[in-house]
Amino acid sequence: MRIPSLRAQAAITVAVLAAGFALVFFYAPNDADQGFIQKIFYLHVPLATCALAGFIVAAIHAIRHLRTGDAVHDARSYVSIHISVIFGVAVLLTGSIWARASWGKWWVWDEPTLVSFLIVFLLYATYYPLRYAIEDRDRQARYASVFAITAGAFVPLNFIAVRAAQSLVHPRVFATAEGGMPPRMWIAFTVCLAGMALLWTCLVRFELAAKSASAKLSRLRRALEGETYVASGSRIAPGIPSRAPSPS
Amino acid sequence: MPALPLDEAGKYVAGAYLVFLALVLAYVAIMAAKLERIERELSDLAEREPHPDADPPGADAGADQDARGGAEGKLFERERSSREELV
Repeated sequence: MRIPSLRAQAAITVAVLAAGFALVFFYAPNDADQGFIQKIFYLHVPLATCALAGFIVAAIHAIRHLRTGDAVHDARSYVSIHISVIFGVAVLLTGSIWARASWGKWWVWDEPTLVSFLIVFLLYATYYPLRYAIEDRDRQARYASVFAITAGAFVPLNFIAVRAAQSLVHPRVFATAEGGMPPRMWIAFTVCLAGMALLWTCLVRFELAAKSASAKLSRLRRALEGETYVASGSRIAPGIPSRAPSPS
Repeated sequence: MPALPLDEAGKYVAGAYLVFLALVLAYVAIMAAKLERIERELSDLAEREPHPDADPPGADAGADQDARGGAEGKLFERERSSREELV
């Protein structure tokens, strides 16, 4: 399958997200129980889904990095985690707003969905200090990959915890005894989820391109300044130099 | 808890969507600043690069790589190949 250029993907992302939000406000009906406030669901749940899926993608790249030693996979794993953490911030903020409107509280500690997501988020927040505490780049990449794989295992746990929880404080909109969402809501939700997934991949590609450009710039600068070629690059994207031949 | 009236619920819904928009815009602004710095450094490097007119007389276009020096020529080769790999 041909991958569209970053510019084309950005345009598609904007179009799909705009269509999704238009469906949310002009096509999907108001929820019978929560009313208009349920519109946050179409933003909050796709963000959470993409953030958690992104952590799993990061773990897959980390496995590939450990298997092949190719630092490109390490860069992809790092960027996947970075974008997913940003999405995680958005999930926590939009979730708090929804909680305040629905339950009258910004945060509820006895709700497993919220707490388990917060644990996963805080776990990934420690990725950065762990990574930058290590000076040696090879070791840094290896340890970060091990972390990404280990933390990735917590993501399914988050999902299972929500399903296994007995509390029904958190709204169950996909499958309830009453039958779940009507088709119009499903269509709006699916388009929003597709738009959010496109946004996630778009931002990942954007950041990888920026890191790649930054790494190349550093090497060009060193070459022009007549320094001995040393395998390095940006702090995160050392993938290209690691493949480069040793200095002659 | 009963559903909030539209005027009150609207504020929360607008708040949630605006938070999302603000986060995306903040990210794009940070990345734009980064790219601007890269562009500035690139133009700084381009100014330092020897001008084509400064090539020794008789040097043709194919000798451009040699004129830059072997190591640098190899570097440009690597740049070209790695661009396809990473992105």
